[in-house]
Amino acid sequence: MGTRMNKYTSSILRNQWFLLLIVIAVISVTTGSINPRFYNINNLVNILEQISVLGVIASGATILIISGNFDISVGASIGLSACVMAMLMKAGVPPGVAVVAGIGVALLCALFVGVNSIVFKAPSFIISLASIGVFKGIALFMTQATLQTIYGEFEAIGLTRFFGVVPLIFLISLAVFLIIGFLLGYSKLGRRVYAIGSNERAAFLAGIAINRNKLVFFAINGLLVGIAATMLLSRIGAAQPSTGAGIELLAIGAVVVGGTPMTGGRGRILGTFFGVLLMGVISNSLNMLQVSPYFQDVTFGLLIIFSVAVSALSRKSS
Amino acid sequence: MTSDNLILKVEGITKSFGAQRPALSDVSFELHSGEVLCLVGENGAGKSTLIKILSGAETPDFGTILLNSKETHGLTPRDAIASGVATIYQDVELIDSLSVADNIFLGSEMQSAYGLGVDRLAQEKESKRYLDLLHIDIRPSVLVESLSAAQKQNLQIVKALHQDARILIMDEPTSSLGFEETRSLMSLVGELRSRGMAIIYISHYLEEIFEIGDTILILKDGERVGLYPRLAVDVDFVIHSMVGRDASLFFQRESVPVGDVRVIVKEMTWDEVVKKVSFEVRAGEVFGIGGLVGSGRSELVGLIYGMYKRSSGEVIIDGRKIPRGNPSSAIQSGIRLITEDRKKYAMFGQRSVAENITITHNELTGGALLNKKQEAVLTTTLIDQLHIAVASHAQSIESLSGGNQQKAIIARWMLDDADLYIFDEPTKGVDIGAKEEIYKVIVELARRGKCILMVSSDMPELLSMSDRIGVMRAGEMVKILVKDQSVDEHLLIKEFVGS
Repeated sequence: MGTRMNKYTSSILRNQWFLLLIVIAVISVTTGSINPRFYNINNLVNILEQISVLGVIASGATILIISGNFDISVGASIGLSACVMAMLMKAGVPPGVAVVAGIGVALLCALFVGVNSIVFKAPSFIISLASIGVFKGIALFMTQATLQTIYGEFEAIGLTRFFGVVPLIFLISLAVFLIIGFLLGYSKLGRRVYAIGSNERAAFLAGIAINRNKLVFFAINGLLVGIAATMLLSRIGAAQPSTGAGIELLAIGAVVVGGTPMTGGRGRILGTFFGVLLMGVISNSLNMLQVSPYFQDVTFGLLIIFSVAVSALSRKSS
Repeated sequence: MTSDNLILKVEGITKSFGAQRPALSDVSFELHSGEVLCLVGENGAGKSTLIKILSGAETPDFGTILLNSKETHGLTPRDAIASGVATIYQDVELIDSLSVADNIFLGSEMQSAYGLGVDRLAQEKESKRYLDLLHIDIRPSVLVESLSAAQKQNLQIVKALHQDARILIMDEPTSSLGFEETRSLMSLVGELRSRGMAIIYISHYLEEIFEIGDTILILKDGERVGLYPRLAVDVDFVIHSMVGRDASLFFQRESVPVGDVRVIVKEMTWDEVVKKVSFEVRAGEVFGIGGLVGSGRSELVGLIYGMYKRSSGEVIIDGRKIPRGNPSSAIQSGIRLITEDRKKYAMFGQRSVAENITITHNELTGGALLNKKQEAVLTTTLIDQLHIAVASHAQSIESLSGGNQQKAIIARWMLDDADLYIFDEPTKGVDIGAKEEIYKVIVELARRGKCILMVSSDMPELLSMSDRIGVMRAGEMVKILVKDQSVDEHLLIKEFVGS
């Protein structure tokens, strides 16, 4: 009886998402008791809106990190993609066409990172680090470092709320989580993500086409970056090369907080979802508690270190 | 042995992890300087736990350890090193990017005059003295990354000696060594013994134990079966005590009728590593490949599997030419390779047993989605068929014992029918019980008319399993021996060395 109970509790504790849920609840209740406006429906909807773009980026990062890869150029490629979309729209191209072109740009950026890391057998972390400069430079040159505003022209995606409360972009984000979760858990592609991340050499010898599959992982990430850029552009109504900068670190942070180790081979999308939600709730709570916004960066940094520590300690105990 | 050279006395050590039967219960023994104590037992008998306790990685629940006439109830790793206990692990713990001398002196560097940095020359001179003492032929100035596995192991021993170790624990030191290297390790152990070192030697290879052991400590299910002077027991007795039943080092393999030629390997060549190797394998035949480490055995089978790109040569199965390709295309063409180092080349450690078993099956079958129901059925079937001991399908493969890991990897290759099965060191680091089951799988494949290639460094295995044995020497297949009464270990060794 006692051991069964232990087994049950320990299996819950091993699921990092459950811990995150508790942390999220505690933070929410604490903030709400200090500032009841936290519970205001508009504030809650606001949280969902704020985490939507991060959620899409973090979903892509989950696939890459589990497979043992990184793409830290996604912030720069969001900037480039959003600028291309905005400039096309300003030039009178229909929004639909502009969006397709923008997503295409993000896809090419991701493939650029993927192909270079595969061909030169270099860690994708380094290749994507170098790519930040490439993408940002192109965006700066195209825009001549000016803000591309399209206020009022492309608001439908960003502003639509179903029944007046549920934001469309949150539904898009949720759909992305579900699709990536399905891919990871129920498709052969997902199996390859885990296998390549766990032991690339063994995956090769087990008959998995490593390069082709890695390229697919990068392409999926690129597609998601393009979607995120579209959502972001529609929400803020303007783009510049620095749009999206820094989101890659938040996304990687959310993935790690969600229990996926940086070494790959393991992890679940549910963890990432709660990691993203936690970041959204913390950010909002700090606003509600009128903490200086500069402290948000400090908090996120410490949170990531804390969650790495938690997983290191739980590995040690097991 | 007189009591004054007693160096270690372990009394009533008990250790459990969780609710099941203890990993070790009430184990006692004594060790004297200049004694080689061999620790034997099947996987899970408690050998590793005992080593961990002696090296300070685990603390016993009960019992006492008398080390250098000091009594304790448990050691920390620091205590163990300070008391002169050095453990040489299978996975070598050296720093590749440093020189041999730097590794030996790591943490106790020799200061140069005026304390200005490390005195490299003095360190190298001192290292050379140690290396010469043990007749080890390594230059102190070379980087560790350029050493072979055997040399690295020797280096660890030198390092232990430099740290004034008085008890050396060697855990499966020969599992990744070839024949010659094992020989030289054996003589090194003898050398250390004559210098008064006490050695605890763990190995699955009973021949080694009977060659170098003074005493044999047998563990079974965490309990001490007995501690015997080597001269008082024989191999059969030890095996019987370890497994609780009679078994032979020589697996009595049943013979299977051999049919027509199915696989032809023609002039397989890869630069200077494998040179113009040709042979044929018949239906139902086990074709053994023997030779020293570095003779090109593993590379030859790797070439057939497309793990490396061959320079020239052909593989023909049932009249079909197999294109020069990669493992994926070799698998499609009906070739299977059970690799030598399962952790490095086969296992997805953190992933479940089910995922590890079905990974290639999923690649071979069409469709983008997994069929989880079918996966569960297939996994259950193979777990039953190969007697793999698992708690659940979802258990991670790295949490299984070595023998069960190997069986799970073999299961991966049994899911889909193929023509040529290549086993590279199929029973390395596997206990005797699991060994027999793996042999049965190989014989069953032969019975079904499959062709089998088996690379092995284990002489009894090579002799008892193979119908014919191809001898590799310096990248060439110098001879193909048909197994009959005249082929024995001595003949094989002669052929391997080429004298």
